[in-house]
Amino acid sequence: MATTKPHPFLRLTLVFMLTLSLSACGGNTTNTSPTASKGITSDESTSLQSEQSTQEQVTITFQNIYPDPNTPSYKMMMKIVSDFESANKNINIELDSLNTDQQKLKLKTQAASKEVPDITIVNPSEQMKPFVDAGLLAPLNDILDQNGLKDTFLTGILDYYTFDHNVYALPDGNNTAVVYYNKDMFAQAGVEVPTTFEAMIDVVKTLKAAGIQPMVIGEKDSWTGSFLFMNILLRTNGGPGFLQDVLDKKRTFNDPAFEEAVNKFQDLVQAGAFQDGATSFDYNAGENLFKSGKAAMYFMGTWATGGIDDSSVAGKIDAFKFPTVSGKGNVDEYMLAPGSAFAISAHSKHLKEAKAFLHYFMMHYPKVNFDLKNAVGLAQKVDGDFKAAGYSDLAMNLLKLAENVKGGDLAFDNMMNPSTAQVHLTSIQNLFVQKKEAKEVAAEHQAAFAANNP
Amino acid sequence: MNVLKVPARTIAVFVLPCLLLYTALVFVPILVSVYTGTLDWNGINQAVFVGLDNFKALFTIDAVFWPSVKRTLLFAVFSMAEIPVALCVAILLCRYLKRPNFLVSSYFLPVILSVVIIGQLWKTIYDPASMGGMLNQILITLGLGAWTKSWLTEPDVAMIALYFVALWQYLGYHVLIQFTGVTSIPSEIYEAAQIDGAVGFTADRHITFPLMIPVFKISIILAFIGSLQAFDLIMVMTGGGPAHATDVISTHMYNMSFLSMKYGYGSAIAVFLVLLCLISTLIINTLFRTLEKRQS
Repeated sequence: MATTKPHPFLRLTLVFMLTLSLSACGGNTTNTSPTASKGITSDESTSLQSEQSTQEQVTITFQNIYPDPNTPSYKMMMKIVSDFESANKNINIELDSLNTDQQKLKLKTQAASKEVPDITIVNPSEQMKPFVDAGLLAPLNDILDQNGLKDTFLTGILDYYTFDHNVYALPDGNNTAVVYYNKDMFAQAGVEVPTTFEAMIDVVKTLKAAGIQPMVIGEKDSWTGSFLFMNILLRTNGGPGFLQDVLDKKRTFNDPAFEEAVNKFQDLVQAGAFQDGATSFDYNAGENLFKSGKAAMYFMGTWATGGIDDSSVAGKIDAFKFPTVSGKGNVDEYMLAPGSAFAISAHSKHLKEAKAFLHYFMMHYPKVNFDLKNAVGLAQKVDGDFKAAGYSDLAMNLLKLAENVKGGDLAFDNMMNPSTAQVHLTSIQNLFVQKKEAKEVAAEHQAAFAANNP
Repeated sequence: MNVLKVPARTIAVFVLPCLLLYTALVFVPILVSVYTGTLDWNGINQAVFVGLDNFKALFTIDAVFWPSVKRTLLFAVFSMAEIPVALCVAILLCRYLKRPNFLVSSYFLPVILSVVIIGQLWKTIYDPASMGGMLNQILITLGLGAWTKSWLTEPDVAMIALYFVALWQYLGYHVLIQFTGVTSIPSEIYEAAQIDGAVGFTADRHITFPLMIPVFKISIILAFIGSLQAFDLIMVMTGGGPAHATDVISTHMYNMSFLSMKYGYGSAIAVFLVLLCLISTLIINTLFRTLEKRQS
């Protein structure tokens, strides 16, 4: 595969360009901020206006993961940003909108040269730890104490973003994993919602016999399979805390609970639950199969609800709790997915303005999302009557379900360092294409863990 | 230099801007990479100097590295094997068509398409039959249902499927290069040979092939280096998966640097890749030099 540059040395630069300037990938997506023409109500203006009206113009860069204008998240962001700009004429918010993977990559590249944007997005726990350790993020305790912002967050959610008693980021969501299913297809095949994992495998077989694709997954983005696997582990372990035990060196991956989870997961794969070629479907392609009515079940975090309600299968979908496995586990324990979170660069030239904006943003975040029917799975308390606002039955069910969450586990890559996580992700992806001995999978994990956690 | 009859200083002035740019964009990054290759660094935090540990781990412990080198080299071999085919196509085009330009342009078309588009296109062609994949549908129509496969997700065939797409895309590129070479051979030589009774393949063997060696060499080097650095197509189509089955050196480097956040380790792989490219280019050059000497 040759490209057009003739000189070998020039071609070598490509390799380095790749490592050094991947940030360029996202360069084109930088948007200008919305014009501050939309009307706002007077109570939305903040105290900053009077303080800073005499000051010079300030531009704050807001790197975010809401690039798609069709999504409620994008509309939410544009609304709050333009309202804020109207209230604070001297502050200009420049948006740098990227999709999730691009943003992760760009931030890492920027961090390597200590050029973190004023406001950016980080992921909870272990994923944001390197940034905190490097002193790149500013503590946000002060804005949390301002106007009771801290009390708008759900109890405990901020712990995932707290290091040494300092909160370094404010989450955009708090989701749990459920199994979405297509009621019409279940009726067509004459199957009931399974309450045990073993029954779920039977459901898979029945659906398959009826010519219906039982489940779909976008396994090219390997976290999807890991997320499902971890939910099985949460059950076979009889409750949360397996990875924490491994991290504390109380247990190892060569544990019966882990090996059983591998076997159960393989049972599901071998029963033909997933679409052919699952490992070549990325997250969106996998989800689209479900949203276009081509499959009966879809395991995903509750953040998918808005998109499902916005698709052609809206109204036909409900969700069930992930069942018990071999009679073990509690169905009210979930894979927990504390959301991506907004953080502020410690080296920001306009730290005060950035903090003022983020405070304003988070204060208005629940209300604006609620109005956009996007308030399922927020990390903050939402005032308002969901039913009256026209939320779907699916959304109502999930909101009710969220009230009874009795704890759970975080995704693997939020618990373990990136090197160990990558080995895990690959190892689970491999189970989609070939059957492996559970002992082998466990040994692979343990070796990676030992090598990366001296 | 003296041929130009200008003072050395003038030459320096004209060369300098390019030289500076070249040094800044090529040599400095290479040296920086060599340095970061000796660090234990996640790209963000304080780096620790570990000497050659990264290289040691790369060559001895890393279970993904050597298979990915093998896949890369195999890729290079296939790419080079494509050049003779391209040459034959070029000769045929030259000989039997009055206006071959249209065909050459059509062969060239895939080269100007974005790799992402090519990748997405072939992904749908390779899709399993249940998802409407074209290749599998054709096989079924031909009564070869037993041959259907999930082309991109079976570890044994996924890499071959990828090679094929890359070869398909770049065939036109090499046909163009070879075609230009063939048309630039003066027709008098062929006419003279015809009088001596050398036509068809005999003429090719004694005239076309020897005269094409320099052009052939360019194609071979381009194909070789290009395939060593193959990245985009693989990233789009399989992302190195399933489970590293289609990882090549450059995707492994990317995974290590950006996903596993081992920036130093990734740099070590980059250094290996640079050396591999340099050494291979040297070898190819030497081979062709001896070949040219023998011919003359």
